[in-house]
Amino acid sequence: MSALTGVGKLRRRDALALAGAAALAGTRSARAADTKLTIWTGYPEIQPVYQAVAAEYAKTHPGVTFDFFSTSLREAEQKLTAAVPTGTGPDIFDIGTNISINFIDNQLIEPNPPDIDAHLKSGVWGKFTVDFFTLDGKTYGLPFLEGSRASMYWNKAYFQEAGLSGPPATFPELIEAAKKLVKIDSQGRMTRSGISLRLSGQGSGIGEKFRYILEAAGGSLIEQKGPGKWHNGYDNQAGRDALGFYVDAVQTWHIDDPKVPHDADAFASGATAMLFRESWVIGEIQSKNPKLDYGVAPIPAWKAGMPRMMLLQPEGVYVNGQSQNKAAAWDFVKFLTNARGGMKLTEVTGWLSPRTDIDWKPLLAKTPQFEVFVAPPSDIKYYVEPVLTAFDEVESRLADRLTASYIDPSLKGNPDAIAARIHDMAQQTDKILKDAKLYG
Amino acid sequence: MTNAQRRLLRSRITSVLIHGVLSLGALFMLLPMVWMVATSFKLPGEIAVWPPHLLPQQPTWANYSGLFEAAPFLRFFGNSVFIAVASTASCVVTSMIAGAVFAKYRFPGRGVLFMLVLATAIVPFEAYMIPLYIELVRIHWINTYQAIILPTLVMSFGIFLVRQHVASAIPDELMEAARVDGASESWTFRRVLVPLSGNAIAAVGIFAFIQAWAAFIWPLLVANNQLLFNMEVGLTAFQFRFSADYGKLMAGSTLSTVPMLIVFLLLRRRIIENMALTGIKG
Amino acid sequence: MKRFRRHAGLWVWCYAMLFPVLAIYAYVRIYPIGRSVQLSFFDWKLMARVRPFIGWDNYTRMLGDENFHIAIWNTFVYSLATVLLSTVIALPLAVLLARRGRASAVYQTIYFLPVITPLVPMSIAWKWIYDYNYGILNYALSFVGIPPIAWLTDPHIALWALVIMGVWKVLGYNLVIFLVGIRNIPAPYIEAASLDGASDLQTFWHVTMPLLRPIVLYVLVTSTINAFNVFTQVYVMTLGSQAAPGQAVRVLVYDIYQNAFQYFRMGYASAEAVTLTLIVLGFTLIQFRAFRQREAA
Repeated sequence: MSALTGVGKLRRRDALALAGAAALAGTRSARAADTKLTIWTGYPEIQPVYQAVAAEYAKTHPGVTFDFFSTSLREAEQKLTAAVPTGTGPDIFDIGTNISINFIDNQLIEPNPPDIDAHLKSGVWGKFTVDFFTLDGKTYGLPFLEGSRASMYWNKAYFQEAGLSGPPATFPELIEAAKKLVKIDSQGRMTRSGISLRLSGQGSGIGEKFRYILEAAGGSLIEQKGPGKWHNGYDNQAGRDALGFYVDAVQTWHIDDPKVPHDADAFASGATAMLFRESWVIGEIQSKNPKLDYGVAPIPAWKAGMPRMMLLQPEGVYVNGQSQNKAAAWDFVKFLTNARGGMKLTEVTGWLSPRTDIDWKPLLAKTPQFEVFVAPPSDIKYYVEPVLTAFDEVESRLADRLTASYIDPSLKGNPDAIAARIHDMAQQTDKILKDAKLYG
Repeated sequence: MTNAQRRLLRSRITSVLIHGVLSLGALFMLLPMVWMVATSFKLPGEIAVWPPHLLPQQPTWANYSGLFEAAPFLRFFGNSVFIAVASTASCVVTSMIAGAVFAKYRFPGRGVLFMLVLATAIVPFEAYMIPLYIELVRIHWINTYQAIILPTLVMSFGIFLVRQHVASAIPDELMEAARVDGASESWTFRRVLVPLSGNAIAAVGIFAFIQAWAAFIWPLLVANNQLLFNMEVGLTAFQFRFSADYGKLMAGSTLSTVPMLIVFLLLRRRIIENMALTGIKG
Repeated sequence: MKRFRRHAGLWVWCYAMLFPVLAIYAYVRIYPIGRSVQLSFFDWKLMARVRPFIGWDNYTRMLGDENFHIAIWNTFVYSLATVLLSTVIALPLAVLLARRGRASAVYQTIYFLPVITPLVPMSIAWKWIYDYNYGILNYALSFVGIPPIAWLTDPHIALWALVIMGVWKVLGYNLVIFLVGIRNIPAPYIEAASLDGASDLQTFWHVTMPLLRPIVLYVLVTSTINAFNVFTQVYVMTLGSQAAPGQAVRVLVYDIYQNAFQYFRMGYASAEAVTLTLIVLGFTLIQFRAFRQREAA
């Protein structure tokens, strides 16, 4: 198979390195002479972290040099999917499970070597996280950052102004609070939304935000019946409740509207009072509106007595199955994902490490709003995105239909129509699973 | 009012109306660009403000200086220029040759070949860039300048434009006259067709330059090393996972438009102004 | 015999001149496109090593796919509107600006500027212009008493908002092409017409227009091709949270992109691309036929 990127000179060096490593069979340390590791990331803001960690690594591992490449996420995914199967990919890359599952399925990422496997299970990462990186009993990659733990941002100043004592603990409380927080001007236009839901646009993000509500209500997008057997998990009361929530939010209670600004920018600038989002918003607020008085609480429970749910989405760093420097690469990846690397990640970018052994106190002293993300309350129940090839399409196609439904007037106050719509969407989900031969 | 005075008034009013409409249109054309340049001078706090305002209240150069600190943008700029110039040169030459031959000469297969050339412009690039990528892997051209420039060497619309222009603006009589005088086809091509196609060539030039400058997905796929990036690819450094550094994005984009503007201004006369047509009898 | 030899000599010269250009086309376009067409008959999942032949399956699946239907419809509407508007506005504009002078030069440059601005920042700028509460468009409309319009978030309007942006982007390009064409009409023709007593409008219609036919054909064909291939601005407009509702602005190339690089169904995406190409090729041939030049003998 064709070699890595790089000039001819380096290929000779790599061959020497390979020979050297082979001679030292049994030891995995990167004592091999002059190894060049290429690293690609889909997070441009994280490249400085990679570079800083690599610089530290190079101090104790002379002869290992690094080449970095970063670009925006979709483009990085496109590039990886073109390069890795053709043998022109990097040694190390980070990518979400939507892509990694395809690589794993096609043997482009290999199972972790035994020592890395043991390292993953050494207790540093929680059981949920370890399970997320396990497929058919084998582990792939190491967790690098926590991509979700989405929680509820709430604007303290607005809450005080509306006479509310604190963040809502259940969805009925949330609805009542939102009704008091929304601001409509004299011409009937919403100038501040009570809560910023993801109502429009494209892509699986809409599905992911829908799941915050769906999971809270007790449903899930797809359910597993057995190995390789999945079907929809929302053709039930939970699904109808979740869709009903959105429809009512926009059309009945008027606590959100597609026409107002949304998301982190809206929360940071005060155009909304509540938002369900991940920890990176804290960084946005710090740079765009540091004086904002806000708090972060867990996403409320659907009603009293039901658990509060939280999405976990650890992102992994993987070694290319076709890399010529696997041993050296794994050694670096292990270094990258250690506690110091994790701290650096959060310091520089606001993204959190999924490790359980990091001392977050200095961070919390500076920015207490991180608390819910780094130390969620113990009664919270977690859920993850199912790791299978068809999931991205399931979520995206659902998203295509959801946005139209949210503003569909025929669904307002019409439980039968909502049930029919949910059933329709569920059938599409099942069809996608059947096409992918994953139905059961 | 005399008739003459009335006519003068009417023509003055018409002139004012025309200028009014044109100016309104010009405002409409300029507005997004004004926003882009204005944003490039804003700090992050000013960009996300609500309600938004157009002009920065505390203008700053920070985005521009930060641009060059964040990544080697001078190099990216240089790459963009290099790739665009190479592509433009090639497109101009190939379009001129192919366009003129398609326009003025009849030979078997002419229609089919021309349609084939045009049809390749219809297929979306996303549909065939992977097979092209795989082929370049085979010849070890990944991560090289030649790989980036390769697909931009020809421009179907350029060939089409020259063909239309030559077909309509250059009478057959001129070519016949040269042939009757004993000139070879190559001489006729060089001395008659090419000089008279000045504005089409200039138009192809500016359009090829713009297309090559804006190339994004192909250079991104093919370049593994930052040293080969052009401006468009380099700017993705400011598009983070869920947000973007709009200030720097706009600063980079503003800088990006400058060369194209310069090329257009240089070529504008050539594209639009008439040339002296010698040898044409009225 | 001498005539045939002369013709054959000419033909050889033509092929010889065209050869380098066609060779490049063969390598960078025809071959990859051909591969793509071939793979549209296979179950080609980008990363899989096995690619079973499935005949027309991709095509039949495509014909039954809701997303494909929506994409075809949206792309068709968008293209028709954009091509008509941008051509119909650019032509009289070109006639107006064909005069020499500094004012003309300034206008020409300003109207051409949208063509050279990069699409991604411009799409972001347009999102701001179209904003419901504080966008400049609704602001301007409020002066004329029109209530604000949900340009991007109303599924019925979003496509038209993109049409306006599309026309904005392409107007300058068409303008320049028309200017080239108008400038090439030898002055004596125009003078002769006005000497004969024709008004400006009559001169335009009976003298300029017929001579512009090849150029008008160029503008129509290239506008159509570009319009059917619209992608980047739609992609940027629908990304993120403050965006157009997905299905309202789903276009063909977006569907191709999603199927190829998100769902990894390259074979299926190729089938869509083939279909798109055939449709647009059809339109192109119709346009050529309609504007057929009377060839000089």
